[in-house]
Amino acid sequence: MIVCVAVVGHQNNPLYIQSFTDADDALKLHHIVHCSLDVVGERVNNPKKSGPTLNETFLGMLYPTENYEVYGYLTNTKVKFILVTTDLDVRDTDVRNFFRRFHAAYVDAVSNPFHVPGKKITSKTFAERMSTIVKSFGLSSAV
Amino acid sequence: MEPDVSIETSSMIRVAVLPIGEVPSSLMRDYLSMLLRHQAIPLSAISSFYTEHQKSPFANQPWDSGSLRFKFVLGGAPPSPWEDFQSNRKILAVIGICHCPSSPDLGFVVDQFNAACKGYSSALVERCFAFCPGDSQLEDGSKKGGNLMLFPPADRETQELHLQTMMQDIAASLLMEFEKWVLQAESTGTILKTPLDSQSSLSSEEVIKAKKRRLGRAQKTIGDYCLLAGSPVDANAHYSTALELSRLTGDFFWLAGAMEGSVCALLIDRVGQRDAVLEEEVRYRYHSVIVHYRKSFIQENAQRVSPITFELEATLKLARRELAKEVVDLLTAAADGAKSLIDSSDRLILYVEIARLYGTLGYDRKAAFFSRQVAQLYLQQENRLAAISALQVLALTTKAYRVQSIASVSKSSFAKKETGSGHADSTKMLHQSVVSLFESQWSTLQMVVLREILLSAVRAGDPLAAWSAAARLLRSYYPLITPAGQNGLASALSNSADRLPSGTRSADPALPFIRLHSFPLHSLQMDIVKRSSAREDWWAGSAPSGPFIYTPFSKGEPNNNSKQELTWVVGEPVQVLVELANPCGFDLRVDSIYLSVSSGNFDSFPVTVDLPTNSSKVITLSGIPTSVGPVTIHGCTVHCFGVITEHLFKDVDNLLLGAMQGLVLSDPFRCCGSGRLKNVSVPNISVVPPLPLLVSRIVGGDGAIILHEGEIRDVWISLANAGTVPVEQAHISLSGKNQDSVLSFASEILKSALPLKPGAEVTIPVTLKAWRLGLVDADTAGGKSATGSIMRHSKDGNSPALLIHYSGPLTNSGDPQTNEIVIPPGRRLVVPLQICVLQGLSFVKARLLSMEIPAHVGENLPKLVQVDGHCSEGAIVSNNKMEKLVKIDPFRGSWGLRFLELELSNPTDVIFDISVSVQLENSSNEDGLSIDHDAAEYGYPKTRIDRDCSARVLIPLEHFKLPILDASFFVKDDQADGVASGRSSVFSEKNTKAELNASIKNLISRIKVRWQSGLSSSGELNIKDAIHAALQTSVMDVLLPDPLTFGFRLLRSSSEPEDLGSHKEYTAEVLSSASKGSVLAHEITPMEVMVRNNTKDMIKMSLSITCRDVAGENCVEGAKATVLLAGVLSGITMEVPPLQEIKHSFSLYFLIPGEYTLVANAMIDDANDILRARARTDSLDEPILCRGPPYHVRVVGTA
Repeated sequence: MIVCVAVVGHQNNPLYIQSFTDADDALKLHHIVHCSLDVVGERVNNPKKSGPTLNETFLGMLYPTENYEVYGYLTNTKVKFILVTTDLDVRDTDVRNFFRRFHAAYVDAVSNPFHVPGKKITSKTFAERMSTIVKSFGLSSAV
Repeated sequence: MEPDVSIETSSMIRVAVLPIGEVPSSLMRDYLSMLLRHQAIPLSAISSFYTEHQKSPFANQPWDSGSLRFKFVLGGAPPSPWEDFQSNRKILAVIGICHCPSSPDLGFVVDQFNAACKGYSSALVERCFAFCPGDSQLEDGSKKGGNLMLFPPADRETQELHLQTMMQDIAASLLMEFEKWVLQAESTGTILKTPLDSQSSLSSEEVIKAKKRRLGRAQKTIGDYCLLAGSPVDANAHYSTALELSRLTGDFFWLAGAMEGSVCALLIDRVGQRDAVLEEEVRYRYHSVIVHYRKSFIQENAQRVSPITFELEATLKLARRELAKEVVDLLTAAADGAKSLIDSSDRLILYVEIARLYGTLGYDRKAAFFSRQVAQLYLQQENRLAAISALQVLALTTKAYRVQSIASVSKSSFAKKETGSGHADSTKMLHQSVVSLFESQWSTLQMVVLREILLSAVRAGDPLAAWSAAARLLRSYYPLITPAGQNGLASALSNSADRLPSGTRSADPALPFIRLHSFPLHSLQMDIVKRSSAREDWWAGSAPSGPFIYTPFSKGEPNNNSKQELTWVVGEPVQVLVELANPCGFDLRVDSIYLSVSSGNFDSFPVTVDLPTNSSKVITLSGIPTSVGPVTIHGCTVHCFGVITEHLFKDVDNLLLGAMQGLVLSDPFRCCGSGRLKNVSVPNISVVPPLPLLVSRIVGGDGAIILHEGEIRDVWISLANAGTVPVEQAHISLSGKNQDSVLSFASEILKSALPLKPGAEVTIPVTLKAWRLGLVDADTAGGKSATGSIMRHSKDGNSPALLIHYSGPLTNSGDPQTNEIVIPPGRRLVVPLQICVLQGLSFVKARLLSMEIPAHVGENLPKLVQVDGHCSEGAIVSNNKMEKLVKIDPFRGSWGLRFLELELSNPTDVIFDISVSVQLENSSNEDGLSIDHDAAEYGYPKTRIDRDCSARVLIPLEHFKLPILDASFFVKDDQADGVASGRSSVFSEKNTKAELNASIKNLISRIKVRWQSGLSSSGELNIKDAIHAALQTSVMDVLLPDPLTFGFRLLRSSSEPEDLGSHKEYTAEVLSSASKGSVLAHEITPMEVMVRNNTKDMIKMSLSITCRDVAGENCVEGAKATVLLAGVLSGITMEVPPLQEIKHSFSLYFLIPGEYTLVANAMIDDANDILRARARTDSLDEPILCRGPPYHVRVVGTA
């Protein structure tokens, strides 16, 4: 189950953080997302270690922590997508798929002429779309 | 768990270092630093102290390359329950440190040391180092002997050498003790237990098992000692045995321990080498170590004791050795393991270690995260020391969370500045500030961290740290904090401040937010103008000349404030406007705020400000420059909430920039309702030496000068030098609107008063003339008063101002070598002439009236103005003022006399006297006599207009006719008619108009309407436009004579003088002509008609004369003719030469007395263009009829 998704901007500024748990652990998830930036930064700075190809946007699992696993995705504009999940064994393709849809949603959200780049994403549509994507994540993996 | 462990830790001999007696902490630190140099003692160095008592068990000791390693534990440590398991955990030696001057009794020192050593039963060697003993102590100490080592006072080098020797001695002693222990253990065996072993009575089976295990454990411990003795090969041999034995007995815990030892032995053996194979070996073995530790977990003991700490320690040991990714995995595993730790102090150590490891990896955020966990664990301990630790740990995290105190930032940036180049550094700093803006969006985390810092600082009793944290929290996150929370923070700030000594400074500003608002320009009274030696008239061009307040050429880009330069004068107070904002939900009292100037040549005056909830305020901060040089203003120093802080403008600018881009939560100024302000940057401010300062005062009060429209008045302006330097140069000019209202100013009086010493005063007169109302009002609406610092003074902006540029003496620069003359800037004083113009006489309308009074036919020819008027009338004027009145002479008539009627009304409540004067100018310069009369004026009696009345003033326009109708007036007309080329005609028409206008202007300028009201006020009506309008249509008639002039005369007596030589004669003539001029009926009346040609051409014409009676009937011809005629009256063909006159005589015989009118008409043949133009006809064929004025003939007698 996905507990949290986040969009982090070019300058490591949070653009969107949404948790999908009922528990009051927003702060913890903030910390997890915040800490994951270390790993993202490291992978960006040391591309040799990060992955097979340069153009790979999917960063894979950044690190496991406590009960969570954190996955990352880096766009060409250095915007980071972070996914925190409780599923300890998810298929790579599922995560890739998820991030692809996530990216599409993000692109649509920032294409809004009223969106100021670098500002937090406040679009309701984006939030709704994200929750749909998050919900369908479990389903698609089941199929 | 222990902090700071590594794989090599197993080979370190633990030495407790204890202060004995009183040792000042600084000295203790010094002594310890000397000790720390000897963490590794080479075996080769201790051979001299080593004596082999028996065969050494360390057969393979590398005497040439190996070494003994020490780990100094300051203050010692309680014995660990795991001592048996890992011998390096034992305190194997104790070193006491004594500072002799503070502990005079050495015996007591020895006792104390021995007592301290009792706590360390495992210690094999004990020494007490006594530093700096006195002479008596030296003597005494040598007697004591034993463990007390005296270090005689000497220079540092000697002492270090001494210490080294001592350490080598200790090392040798330890080595010998190890040998002893190993030999004993090998022979007799020991019982080694760990808390992990079952404490309850053992069953028989277990006893057997334990016996089997004992051998393996002994081997492992011997291996440990070999390792401590610096003999890895021997250690390895023992570990191998131990591994086998423990594997057989299933003693996994000890197996793991032996394996750990073997890895350490391997590393010690291959110290300095680092290759992939070794790394792989270490990694492989350590992973199995971790696995075996995990295996040794016994469920039944889980509540009491767990090998998990060893597993985690092993993990950390491996992590410390590894790099990046693997470390992360290991640390993640270690962090997961933290939950199963029982002891919270173990967890603390684990988190500290994890944080440190992440920190070394460069994972700042992770490190910060775990540091925060550490801090939370400290805070759980609820005591002051733990809180201090928590505070320190949290302070480390602030950098990662971007909430660090400015103090720490500036410290690090200063450190950087020393190493790096300046430019790169500044860009980096800029970058950092931008990044910090971005990262400041992790407000959820940042606020938590700051809150924890505040909490721990309060608990730790560090009011300054608490103040700083609360300040940062409040300043950065006020929009996210409820008003109640803001109040809480405010009280936290004041509570902290209560515990701080007054005058404490904090690097982190709290509230309010301060931004630069503006630098007010110099007031008009003391404006500063640069001057250069090259130009004598340095004032020219420096003032806004011309009608425009703003000229694009004289000033640079007004928006580009960065280039703006300000000049301040030593000793003259200056002001700077700043805007304060308090966006929080409590009333803020700023105890004092003043400009913070780093250049040190400025005295600033503090002010106190109260800022209510959610408000902003612009305040004026003032100060006095104290010495010449540049002034740099960075910000304000604020004393608020009991602490002094420095608020930099730059920071707020960054903040506002961030707010504009949406990076920062909110703009504190906008949420206080203050408008967006353009970015004001601090201009370059330079301070110049004292300048003179002129102060102006209008004599008779500084209020507005109240004038009626057109009034002329003198005012006196007094200028005083209020500066400390004399005025040596001064220049007066005008500026502003309505400059022509200043008729004159006496600049020469000011010039003659120079140099104006300090305190001296000079008064200069200025003549003013009030302008007309209504014309300029429209301008003021358009003109922005904000733009004009120049025009700010006058409310309506219509008043002119005197610009006085002045400067002091040239000064020598202080530098004697160059002997350069420094040109101090000049100053500009703007003296606004506040003129308030009241409505005066108002002009209603102007009309041109023509008056036609027929002349009587007399014995004289009517005085022809055109002919000889100039001469005679000029004489009359000079002779008798009465003649200024316009008199209608019945014999002269006034055919074609025109009057300008001005209707004036007086809406005011004063009485005006109007006097009209006409300035006569002899327009025909051919007349030789004209010189005297050039400036002659015709005055007319005054007309008085009471208030709320209107009156008409007549101005006769009789003196303006030109004597000759010549072509010059129509030159352009000729062209237009002759050459019908379109372009030239248009052009010439324009010319004609211009000429016409010029002549009208000329005419108008000679008419002056002056008024006077009361005793003091007088002026002139400005009605030129109105006259112009009235005259426009008929100017030709006014100015130009008719081509022909006709006159009738009775030819009765030829003896009478025709010429009007003197005035008296003329008057008599006029009087007598009333009787003489009458004609008797029934008598032949000889008459003559005179025709004068006013043109310069010969005129050919046919003259006819008609005589009409009262009824207007022609009474010469027809059946009922009442007048008989002798001579020709019609169709008289004559040619009049230019400027000549021709007379034609005839006789009439009136049958019936009465009034008759004689009119002469001339039909001009072959009229030229001029005549046609005059007659305003275009057609060539049409004959031009010239009608003369009517002449009356009164015929008396009986019918």
